[in-house]
Amino acid sequence: MLVRFWGTRGSLPVAPTAETIRRKIVHALVSADGRRFEGEADAERFIEQELSFAAGATHGGATPCVEIEAGPSYFICDMGSGLRPFGLDSIRRNLAGHSKTYNFFQSHLHWDHIMGFPFFAPAFDPAATIRIHAGHPDAEEAFRRQQEEISFPVPFEWLRADIEFVQLTPGETHEVDGMQVETILQHHSHGSYGYRFTDTDGRTVIYSTDSEHKLEKMAVEAVFIDFFREADLVVCDTMYSLADSVSMKEDWGHSSNLVAVDLCHQARAKCLALFHHEPTYEDEDIQRMHEESIRYEELTRNGPPLDVICAYDGLEVRI
Amino acid sequence: MEYSLDVQDNAVIVHVDGRVDESTWEAFAEGLNEAVRQAGQAGLAKVVIDLSDLDYMSSRGLRVLTVAKREADESAISIVLASPNEVMREILAISRYDKLFTIAAAIE
Repeated sequence: MLVRFWGTRGSLPVAPTAETIRRKIVHALVSADGRRFEGEADAERFIEQELSFAAGATHGGATPCVEIEAGPSYFICDMGSGLRPFGLDSIRRNLAGHSKTYNFFQSHLHWDHIMGFPFFAPAFDPAATIRIHAGHPDAEEAFRRQQEEISFPVPFEWLRADIEFVQLTPGETHEVDGMQVETILQHHSHGSYGYRFTDTDGRTVIYSTDSEHKLEKMAVEAVFIDFFREADLVVCDTMYSLADSVSMKEDWGHSSNLVAVDLCHQARAKCLALFHHEPTYEDEDIQRMHEESIRYEELTRNGPPLDVICAYDGLEVRI
Repeated sequence: MEYSLDVQDNAVIVHVDGRVDESTWEAFAEGLNEAVRQAGQAGLAKVVIDLSDLDYMSSRGLRVLTVAKREADESAISIVLASPNEVMREILAISRYDKLFTIAAAIE
């Protein structure tokens, strides 16, 4: 099983500005301190070994889209702006013989999680099958509405793929092209759904974004701990600091890095991917949150270690 | 985790020992609730939580602090976190709770 992150930013797509890129270059040149490089590979090694991730790369700015590669058909969580590069890449893979069946799983229907669909090129392929799974009964309405003329020039009716909407029920195990899929209702405006995917080899990935864990409902977190149980990878909403999530940004529908670590610890999960990054955060801010999350995991560990990674656009995690 | 309450002249002191985590947060919440209640009854404006013997506090314990602070705010009672060890200082900084609470180096 391979998990590929196409979009990891929350709420709104962002892109680095000219000033951001210039700052990274200046930092890299100063860090090189007059050193000569034998070639691009040597320069790559320097970036990899001597610069921090924030200095030598970027977390990216596309909104949520996560692919789970397991089996002959596609499995994709959410259709944020990261869906566009995924769609183009899948066309390349289709030409090499990949199945044109796309299984989508929607956490919810807010704009940042569906905005990629009007730019999803395979939707125009009459040989493609697109199944959009959601817990919401009104998923189709949300997708059709964003392609009404007032919002977008290409109406939903012009799409040529075979498109089907499938409503999933929490508490049931659904089998989708060989993948076992379970879903759970989460606290978010209009509701959101987390997913537990288990492949034929028993490997498990959790996708739980746009999920607030309320102060006054800590006792019900047992349900999430069970849902996350012994997962190989938990992709989790870690948009805010704990303090922000219980003060200024309470009821905004998101979680914190600390709650994510605690849930994963109790669930005995193996790896946590920080996800749905705050759009106002620079790379340095996200990197700091990652470093602090690793430290918090060490300080509060009371069982097997939890690997805490930070999702970025383009990251691939093999399980 | 064990806790004890001590009503002094200017504050209710809550002494916490051990760990506040997923298995102890409810008892910690009861202790803080009782401390705020006793401060209100005694007409005291402050609850001081003595963290000197606390091993660590997970997000459960931190969130209990927020719930207690809301209850205390309603009665104009302030909550002070006193004598955190190095681990707790780090956790308070990582969680940004050092922005939400007054941290004191010692019980005053």
